[in-house]
Amino acid sequence: MENLKIDAELDITADVCPITFVKTKLKLEQMQRGEILEVVLNDGEPIQNVPRSVKGEGHKIILVEKRGENYRLLIERGE
Amino acid sequence: MTIDYNELKKGGFLRQRQKDNFIVRFRSLAGNLTSEQLRQLADLADKYGKGYVHVTTRQGAEIPWVGINDYNDMKGEIKALGLNTGTCGPRIRTVVACPGREICQFGLMNSRETAIELDGTFFGREVPMKTKIAVSGCPNSCAKPQENDIGLVGAVEPILCAEKCAGCGLCQKVCPHQAISMVDGKPTIDRAKCLLEGNCISSCPTDAWQEGRRGYLLYAGGKIGRKPRLGQVVAEFVPENQVTESVEKVLKAFDVLSQQGERIADTIARVGVKAFRDEVAWTGIESKLYDGPVNSRTGSSTGDLGKEVG
Repeated sequence: MENLKIDAELDITADVCPITFVKTKLKLEQMQRGEILEVVLNDGEPIQNVPRSVKGEGHKIILVEKRGENYRLLIERGE
Repeated sequence: MTIDYNELKKGGFLRQRQKDNFIVRFRSLAGNLTSEQLRQLADLADKYGKGYVHVTTRQGAEIPWVGINDYNDMKGEIKALGLNTGTCGPRIRTVVACPGREICQFGLMNSRETAIELDGTFFGREVPMKTKIAVSGCPNSCAKPQENDIGLVGAVEPILCAEKCAGCGLCQKVCPHQAISMVDGKPTIDRAKCLLEGNCISSCPTDAWQEGRRGYLLYAGGKIGRKPRLGQVVAEFVPENQVTESVEKVLKAFDVLSQQGERIADTIARVGVKAFRDEVAWTGIESKLYDGPVNSRTGSSTGDLGKEVG
């Protein structure tokens, strides 16, 4: 999994809902289909909502990983 | 002019404190009014009332200060416009609904569609006591179905397809009720804690959590008023196409078990929810609803919400 090429990175640990998802969505929109976005987000509300919203928009979550106090998501941009 | 107040109430004309004035009650269909209907209501309020409407708690609008001498003219105009008037008295009231799956990101069921179907079948039906119905698309329960005599709550049952699971633990994080725990790197679910919202399903990166049954939890016996009570589950996973039938069964059970002057809440309080469920006899209901542990889903811990007042 770690051999994946990460095309873009996003840190939303300073943001709150709904900006967390909005930033993720905007970032994904700038990317090409199949590219990988790495997102670092907080525990609590962001980890509860961002992955669900990302999946709902047709992207693929390929990794969810705890990293210290935060979480790290790898998202493959969908259609 | 002699006034038949009962006839007026049936058609949504309510007596006002001021002699010779009426409040005219309109209803929306599952909470929506078109811009055209809003303009028509505004025009009627200008013409027959005092230029305002009162927004009701049941997704309707009322025009107060209608003069008794305008009754016939206004009634004719309402009919010509095709506006839906409300009702009051011992009847089935406007069926209310949240926006539901059509537009809400949390919606599991098309609550508005269901409410419109129920409204078409049940609105205005004469019953022993006023009976209120509400439909919510998911367990967030925004339409307050547990506070209605009959309530429907959209629900989905998560089923784990273990071979697809990558063991990421996200489902454990997104479950608001701590129903999921990770054991040896795989999720296990405590069904008694699961509130059937499906956050695990909608979040799962590998689609390991899949939909089992989807439908409505059917609640009966909620009310507000002076002695509030919450409804309790009498049927689980009622499919969209059997909603009317299931509500009919609740009304039938109420008819069989009720004593004079009781609302569904009073009847359930007297005979017990098990006897009421047995009378509803909805097939497919799980036995745990009868005998299982007290949990927030079955609502079996809810009795009187507040102390008796007034």
